[in-house]
Amino acid sequence: MALFSHHLLGVILFTPLLGAVVMLFVPREATTVHRLVGNLFGVLGFLVSLPLMLHFPTGSGAYEFREVADWIPSIGAKYSLGVDGISMLLVMLTTLLGMLAITSSWGAIQQRTKEYYILMLLLQTGMIGVFVSLDFFLFYVFWEVMLVPMYFLIGVWGSDRRLYAAIKFFLYTLAGSVIMLLAILALYFNYAKTLAPHIPGTFDIPTLLAAAQGFPDSLKIWLFWGFFFAFAIKVPMFPFHTWLPDAHTEAPTAGSVILAGVLLKMGTYGFLRFSLPLLPSDPALRGKIVHILIALSLIGIIYGAVVCLMQKDMKRLIAYSSVSHLGFCTLGIFALTPNGLSGSVLQQINHGISTGALFLIVGVLYERRHTRLISEFGGLATPMPNFAAIYLIISLSSLGMPLLNGFIGEFTILQGAFVVSKAWAAWASLGIVLGAAYLLWLYQRTMFGPITHAANQGLPDLSPREYVVLVPLVVLAFWIGIYPKPFFDYIEKPVQRIVRQVNPTFYQSAGLPSSTSPITATSSTASPISGAK
Amino acid sequence: MNAPGYFLTHLWLIPLFPLAGAVTMFFIGRHLPKSAVNFFCVGSVLLSFLHALGAVLSLFVLPPNQRFYQQILYQWVTPGPMPSAVGMVNFAADWGHLLDPLSCVMVIVVTGVGFLIHIYSMGYMAHEGGYYRFFGYMNLFMFSMLTLVLANNLVLLFVGWEGVGLCSYLLIGFYFLKKSASDAGKKAFMVNRIGDAGFLLGILLVSATFGTVRFTANGLANPAAFNGIVETLGRLVMQHQLNYGAPLFTTIALLLFVGAAGKSAQIPLYVWLPDAMEGPTPVSALIHAATMVTAGVYMVARMSAIYQLAPLAMDVVAIVGAATAIFAATMAVVQTDIKKVLAYSTVSQLGYMFLALGVGAFAAGIFHLMTHAFFKALLFLGAGSVIHSLGGEQDVRKMGALRYTIPATWITFWIGTVAIAGIPPFSGFFSKDEILGHAFNRAAMLDRYLFLWAVGLITAGLTALYMFRLLFEIFHGMSRIPVEAEGHIHESPKTMTVPLAILAFFSIVSGWLALPVLWGEESPFERFLEPSLHGVETDTGKIFFAHHGMLVELALMAASIAFALLGLWLARKLYVENPKLHARLAASWPRLHRLLLHKYYVDEIYDALFVNRVKDLSTALGLFDSKVIDGLGVDGSGWLTRAFSRISMWWDKWVVDGLVNLLGWVPKSLSMPVRMFQTGVFSTYAVFILIGLAVLLGYYGRHVQTFVRSLH
Amino acid sequence: MHPLLDPLSSYLNGDGLTVMPEMELLLFALGILIFDFLLERKEKWMNASLAFFGVAASSVGLFRQAVRFNAQREGRPDLPGLFGFQSAVVVDGFSLVFASIFLAATGLVILLAVRYLEIEREQEGEFYALMLLACSGMMFMASGSDLIVLFLGLETMTLSLYVLTGYLRREKRSNEAALKYMLLGGFSTGILAYGFSILYGLTGSTNIWEIGNILDRRFQFVTSRGMNDWLVILAFVTVAAGLFFKVAAVPFHQWAPDVYEGAPTPIAAYVSVGSKTASFALLVRLFIWVFGGSQPMWQYMIGGVAIASLTWGNLAALTQSNIKRLLAYSSISHVGYILLGLVAANETGVAGILYYLVAYAFMTIGAFAIVVLLRQRGLIGDEIDDLDGLYQRSPAAAVLLLIFMLSLAGIPPTAGFMGKYFIFLSLIETHHTVLAVFAALYIVPALYYYFRIVVHAWLQKPGEAPMPQMSNAQAVALGITVFVTLAAGLYPEPFTRLAHYALGQ
Repeated sequence: MALFSHHLLGVILFTPLLGAVVMLFVPREATTVHRLVGNLFGVLGFLVSLPLMLHFPTGSGAYEFREVADWIPSIGAKYSLGVDGISMLLVMLTTLLGMLAITSSWGAIQQRTKEYYILMLLLQTGMIGVFVSLDFFLFYVFWEVMLVPMYFLIGVWGSDRRLYAAIKFFLYTLAGSVIMLLAILALYFNYAKTLAPHIPGTFDIPTLLAAAQGFPDSLKIWLFWGFFFAFAIKVPMFPFHTWLPDAHTEAPTAGSVILAGVLLKMGTYGFLRFSLPLLPSDPALRGKIVHILIALSLIGIIYGAVVCLMQKDMKRLIAYSSVSHLGFCTLGIFALTPNGLSGSVLQQINHGISTGALFLIVGVLYERRHTRLISEFGGLATPMPNFAAIYLIISLSSLGMPLLNGFIGEFTILQGAFVVSKAWAAWASLGIVLGAAYLLWLYQRTMFGPITHAANQGLPDLSPREYVVLVPLVVLAFWIGIYPKPFFDYIEKPVQRIVRQVNPTFYQSAGLPSSTSPITATSSTASPISGAK
Repeated sequence: MNAPGYFLTHLWLIPLFPLAGAVTMFFIGRHLPKSAVNFFCVGSVLLSFLHALGAVLSLFVLPPNQRFYQQILYQWVTPGPMPSAVGMVNFAADWGHLLDPLSCVMVIVVTGVGFLIHIYSMGYMAHEGGYYRFFGYMNLFMFSMLTLVLANNLVLLFVGWEGVGLCSYLLIGFYFLKKSASDAGKKAFMVNRIGDAGFLLGILLVSATFGTVRFTANGLANPAAFNGIVETLGRLVMQHQLNYGAPLFTTIALLLFVGAAGKSAQIPLYVWLPDAMEGPTPVSALIHAATMVTAGVYMVARMSAIYQLAPLAMDVVAIVGAATAIFAATMAVVQTDIKKVLAYSTVSQLGYMFLALGVGAFAAGIFHLMTHAFFKALLFLGAGSVIHSLGGEQDVRKMGALRYTIPATWITFWIGTVAIAGIPPFSGFFSKDEILGHAFNRAAMLDRYLFLWAVGLITAGLTALYMFRLLFEIFHGMSRIPVEAEGHIHESPKTMTVPLAILAFFSIVSGWLALPVLWGEESPFERFLEPSLHGVETDTGKIFFAHHGMLVELALMAASIAFALLGLWLARKLYVENPKLHARLAASWPRLHRLLLHKYYVDEIYDALFVNRVKDLSTALGLFDSKVIDGLGVDGSGWLTRAFSRISMWWDKWVVDGLVNLLGWVPKSLSMPVRMFQTGVFSTYAVFILIGLAVLLGYYGRHVQTFVRSLH
Repeated sequence: MHPLLDPLSSYLNGDGLTVMPEMELLLFALGILIFDFLLERKEKWMNASLAFFGVAASSVGLFRQAVRFNAQREGRPDLPGLFGFQSAVVVDGFSLVFASIFLAATGLVILLAVRYLEIEREQEGEFYALMLLACSGMMFMASGSDLIVLFLGLETMTLSLYVLTGYLRREKRSNEAALKYMLLGGFSTGILAYGFSILYGLTGSTNIWEIGNILDRRFQFVTSRGMNDWLVILAFVTVAAGLFFKVAAVPFHQWAPDVYEGAPTPIAAYVSVGSKTASFALLVRLFIWVFGGSQPMWQYMIGGVAIASLTWGNLAALTQSNIKRLLAYSSISHVGYILLGLVAANETGVAGILYYLVAYAFMTIGAFAIVVLLRQRGLIGDEIDDLDGLYQRSPAAAVLLLIFMLSLAGIPPTAGFMGKYFIFLSLIETHHTVLAVFAALYIVPALYYYFRIVVHAWLQKPGEAPMPQMSNAQAVALGITVFVTLAAGLYPEPFTRLAHYALGQ
């Protein structure tokens, strides 16, 4: 049991890999065995991650479950793992969605099953690695490793334009991450410079980010933009988002679930963990940068939502909705307030749940009709009542209906943004309105009305396996909607640590001086930015 | 304060019963017989009605200033510290319930009327499909509505707020096979959503200002430990950090009012309510007449403390209310769909309530809310009974003379009509008179309220006109019912008529709570609500009512009665004595008639201005993505690199080999032995090596020159 | 010990030791030439095993050198290495590391060549003899510390490579490539020789250590006068030009695609790895130890050539349809990366060059090995389409191909990534940020064309091409290459140590 008590993260990280290795020895023809082994390790991967949540010291702001070992001493790279409340939740999300995605592809994947499950498990390891590594070198390795399996998942099991989508995804992401590599190296070098010669520097993330606080602003800005592209592309933020619809649309269901549920979170996670500490310390300068990013987020929110309205392909629609939802997350992050950040983290989890479920739902329809065109459906509520119910709940959670998870996240983010600038919250609330529009419209066009296509006449309702996949997500959606406190407790301390680091003036600022007019007073005092409106 | 009894401590059960019913329906409803569905759903509502009754009574026995009971079940949304006007606070929205006089009224109305309508539905929906689904939604609605009225803070209120919106969406679209139905549902949800966005911003502004969204700390075990909006507001005003009429108050009030306007169908967001009549009639009665649509009124009254400090916002509310009232009334006059008429009448009556709130008569507004709940529910259910008996016919032009065939419905409908028309001693008269009275009293202070009062008066006349017209067209005059339908007209079953009778009873008596006003005393209803509505003491300004003598009061009553009777007389002239007349009237003003008939073309205008524009924008941005960002940005750069690659290929191939062939034949023509070297490109490659060398040297040419110069 | 043997043993422990590995290779080369006559046509493959023994023996010698060198480092840290023949050759970490790369490359290529030559029906002894000769030449290029020795080493290598390139007598592409290679090689060697002569003229010495010291002094002297030393400039420009040709850097790259395409595939691998690595050994040796003083003068030249190579190589590779040509252009882009390390010219940079060369050697040979597999009777197998559906035909080969391509593109956790890592780091350390961004972004198009290969191998339907069979030798070669490619990425520590050992740490 020492393995579990001392190397829990290692176990979580490598269980999927182990599964992939085991899979190597299964003969190519034994499709069922592939499925069994794949699902076994999917479930296993989730089970071993449970202790993480159960034994996580609530209200701890530090990194827990540390594991450190030398890796490349000569350059100071270490195999160093650890999670705080934020990354812990993201790891849980990853293991959960990974399990569900693997389960969901039991029937969907018919050819090359062996490779499919190997890749899924590799992907799983890669994603977990990104969230748990506390060493920039290790982080970057996982960040890149994960691209390859995703490329193949899209490229082999995707639909018609899969090759285009796959390579587009790969190149887009790569372009961002190579620049990030340079930024990491610059960070590493500028820290190593301060050390005695011939002492190797370190890639230890906390150390470097702490040291970065001391760097001159000119350098910090470079570092910031260096990291920016990698994360902005992953999130994806407004002008860098066009890989997303293609990748989502062409990927197989499980691929889309993982893409939307986890991969996008790496961008927001990166912003949260790495970009914020690199913001320049000069308020005016930081104000400029933050304004740019907020502007991009707001554009993303509205842009994504508006474009949803013209989509004819369900998956494409949901993909664009992700652009809108992730816009909320980045908005919360760059509001630089505790509420904004906690909301953002929670919203990342929520988006993983709701959008993941939405893709699974489209997958259910796709398996039955082999089309994703909205016009092909309609009136499905009659043959598939239970499906309709779950679909409705998930849509509602996605459009931010109270008592479901989406609302908590959006409300908290808006609150966080609002105390900084009324205008931001106002624009963002536009996204909420449009969100209702496209989701209800989608629901109405697929579920309501008379059955227009004979093919939809006798569609079977959800199968037990589909229940197994969807129900957990629905339950989670309700849990976070009705009793989010546990989640907030995990997030609170790390978030406060971040805010103290990047927005130290925040905690002094409060109250409204009786002299000034209250509106401007509440906004500007709380604002990390000079004169944000 | 003595220990709260069972009913108060179990306040949380009131919304829970219907929820349980709803959940049961969703999980096993499909497999249950109708009787079991009735048992669960109607039973659950009855239970919560009884609990509500118990709770209200156990509150009522307390002295007025102690009539607060608040329980916090758990901390719900706890995002952490946030700055506010009162300093850095650890923001937290509870899941908690507040029972005070205001919510007492609401909870009784909701559960009471709700229960009756559930009973009624058993009869009305007996032959419909999806029986369990219907009742499941209805119970879900009851849960949301009760959460709304019992919530002890704005965020939880918003939960109920959105919940009722969802249920109305589901119930309007209950016949989801009809496109018009699901469209109407979507429209309702969307329009509400627009209001909600404003409401949400309002909530945010409240939380950012007061650091809390809890209405009050009253009624908690230790009020000192908690802060509520009212208390914080009091402190801020006391310390003169915020004063009467501060722009901040106006902003909050107006943002909240946007939400209210959406939910309570006020201009400009009223358009969804008439379409909402696509839903089953009991739904229209419960959601779109008695309860949900009044949520806006309730919320504004709930926040009265803030509104009282925002005179500008008050005026807006009053004007919007008055405008909506008369605007909707004019449309009601010409509508021919029985339910549409009632829908517009609802919009108009809601306008009345906002007029009341706007002039500061919060209690009067709530009073009208209550009476309206009774008689409008009655009217809708009556209409439902008519439709039921006619097998789904809704067009008043195909009715008439029904009083003989369905007398019970006829009588109750009469009572309802008289009540809404505002003829004493029916309830409508009292509540409406309260409103008009207050408007007039305010007018003594500020002349512009005189205009509002006049509008209210005229609307009263119009109300009487269209309601009696409806009454006469349905029950009186010649029968215009197609003969084949004549046969199977039948009175509705007891489950439907009994609720009608009960509602009729309350439509008569509920107004008498304000009876003492007649002899110049304060209305007990207002006195009961006073603790919830008195707001905060402020020395800088407050809403002020003049007090006229008894004579003026009576004159006002006389005026409103007169207008009501005028409307009645007109309706009788046009539709009973001389049925041709109204047709001729319409013919003589064709434009006006068409304008009213098409509801002032508002829907068309909205489509043209907003809906279609958004769709265009969407298409445009979609193209922008595929053409500009992808086209130029991504594929463009890809194309560029490939183009470069082509060029370099082409270079290696043609330029090089071209030069090969060029240099090729020179030595060939020179001499034989060289020819063996004609293996191709070597000579040109050599040339390129030389060129490369030259380039490298050329880079340092500058230095060479300096050297040359240094020689001499 | 017998008195007669004393001088021999003392020789073998003195000067002899410094050239022992090269000598052993030469002996085996001659041995093969003789042995070849005794063999029947079907026994010719034994030459290969003999050559392999040669490599083994030479590596033993190398090992003895290493032991000796380390011992001396303990005793006399001030000496740069073991000098021999009046310091005409030097054995130091640099030469040891490079020599081991050469031996490894030679061994691997021999393993690949056996089956290939069988298919080509060209199983002759001289092939292996020439390879051993070339290898000894390379080793001299790394260990020579006298211009003459270096030049001889270069010539020994290139001459044997010319012949090997044209080895397929019946193959027109092969002969043409050989002739092209020879003529241009000679041309560039001439330029190099010119550069050497200038050096001699400037300093009156052929020993690079002396030259280095003199040049440094001279450089400081002249620059202190505010003048520029154009003779030195001329010297390093010509030397650089000559070596740029050998490493196929733009604009001296044009021969590479033709030669790679024409030469027998194992030889293409050998040229692209062996001769390139050797020439880099020479380049680094000269520019760090000889022209080190004038680094501010030449770093921009090198940088310009590097960017040119990156651009040209990457872009031209995008639209190649022939794998060998594609690999040629990709190797040009790799040259660009390696040269960038020379631009930085700091410790990390040079260590990076070494690391990169090790990685490059193994992943390139690996990639070529796959192409060798495709070569079958009646199928040249060097077109991209010949890869179609390789995954169905031979999954193992497809997986290996994927790994090599990822490594070439520089995706972690592979050797290629670590190489690029050091290069980028060195650039950032020396504040060449713009160069770094350039170089980093070129990974994207690079990945695009490497994955064109992967797409053909993995995602296309298999053509009618038969299942490629893998001989044991090839299997071993592939195993070693893939192992190093992954090991150097997953656990780079020993390799980084090696790189720093080469720099004398």
